[in-house]
Amino acid sequence: MADEGQQQVDKAGRQIFKVPKEKLLEFMRARKDEGFNHLSLITGVDRKDHIEVVYHLHSVEQDRYIVVKTTTNNCTVPSVTSLWRSANWDEREQWDLMGIKFEGHPNLKRMFLPESWVGHPLRKDYDLGNVQYINMDEDGEDYSTFDPGDGW
Amino acid sequence: MSDLMQLNMGPQHPSMHGVLRLKVKVEGEIIREIEPVIGYLHRNAEKLCEMTYYCDNLVYFDRMDYVASMNMEAGYLEAAEKLLGIPPPERAVYIRTIMNELSRIASHLVWAGAFGLDLGMLTPFFYCFVEREKILRIFTESCGSRQETNYFSIGGVYQDITPEIVDHIKTFLSEFPRKLEDIYNLFAKNDVFLSRTRGIGYLDPEIAIQYGVTGPMLRASGVPYDVRKAEPYLLYDKVDFDIPISKKGDSLARFSVRFEEIRQSIRIIKQIIDKIPEGPFFNPKAKKPMMIRLRGDGEVYARTESSKGEFGVYIVGDGGVKPYRVHVRSPTFKNLSVLPELAKNQMIADLIAISGSIDLVFGEIDR
Repeated sequence: MADEGQQQVDKAGRQIFKVPKEKLLEFMRARKDEGFNHLSLITGVDRKDHIEVVYHLHSVEQDRYIVVKTTTNNCTVPSVTSLWRSANWDEREQWDLMGIKFEGHPNLKRMFLPESWVGHPLRKDYDLGNVQYINMDEDGEDYSTFDPGDGW
Repeated sequence: MSDLMQLNMGPQHPSMHGVLRLKVKVEGEIIREIEPVIGYLHRNAEKLCEMTYYCDNLVYFDRMDYVASMNMEAGYLEAAEKLLGIPPPERAVYIRTIMNELSRIASHLVWAGAFGLDLGMLTPFFYCFVEREKILRIFTESCGSRQETNYFSIGGVYQDITPEIVDHIKTFLSEFPRKLEDIYNLFAKNDVFLSRTRGIGYLDPEIAIQYGVTGPMLRASGVPYDVRKAEPYLLYDKVDFDIPISKKGDSLARFSVRFEEIRQSIRIIKQIIDKIPEGPFFNPKAKKPMMIRLRGDGEVYARTESSKGEFGVYIVGDGGVKPYRVHVRSPTFKNLSVLPELAKNQMIADLIAISGSIDLVFGEIDR
């Protein structure tokens, strides 16, 4: 396991593996076969020039916990939905808020915000001064506009 | 196969515990497909946390799971204190453990009351809320606030607890177990309740782990996983308690597991309430005016067991007075994602009995 990725230990003693994104899917599949059946979380950190994607894997039976990190310059990483079903909503959340495109995700829609929302709020360059308003259309679906309209 | 009819439930539905919208596709009365739509309570607490000082962020965490706000505070501080290097003194750790467990009891009582309401039982709701109000009164005495307590602070607690508060907690603990059995019997001896929950919404342990389900939901499916045992924080490695599990995996099992958890929480508080050590209740390094100057560097992830499941907080610091990135692993978000599996091929009338048993709190799902 050690030669597949660079290895570090974080403050709580968890092992951190840094994996290039080309090898991510292969690496994750090997971890899943090892018994890491619980994908605890997926998150992204905007480091300004690149985005760091963090995966926390946990084995419920063996009580082991590891952290996998990968970086991306063009905001795309392979999706792990084929390995863990919980990745579905996690990846949708990260797409919505951080703007990471997960390639191979079956249904990459926004999780919290309406589809027409402009920008990804957790990005460091997101313009907070540009207010967007949410209204509801005839079918009950939400949409966002820059124009407050009558509803507001 | 006949055509599927699409139904819309929520977001303003009396049994949706806030603002959950479900797009349900039914064939006759049987649910074939279900798609939860969330985000109606979204205010992006993670971004708000990036814009505030480390000590002020607690306010946002209070408002995530607003029925168990002490659990949220404990979760955030577990991460923030590690990052800032300011451990709380022993007295504060004892106070936090007690309040954490009281909060868990209050949260489970709210759930039980609301679950009863979902299934058409009005009486247990009042019994549950009377008992919960007693806990909230203890919170009010110790910090002046009922629900969004903001009681824990970096390096300790905001205010010391007095001998009177300890007495009140003891009185509560001596009276509550009998009341709890009354409430339990209101549910467990009610034929309507039993027939509406037994065998409904079966969750397979394999599927549960696949979807990242944790907390009482997972334990009701027979997996004995509890972060308090797996990675002890606060005082949980020093107290004696069991992890209640049930192998049945249905709505009724989730009900029994939560009630057994309340009993375990009482057991935990009873063990430590007499042992609170004397001494300072906050770390002098985190004194009031100094607090906003605390700087954090590096990254830390801490997981804790909230009343809903595994609550994790991931903080990245860049050496400044504000966090660079905060991510919250919300247990109910994961627990809700399994709803399409649970409700598939069930009757539409059982949908509320299934979604109610998940224990949804939208402040936490939408963040």
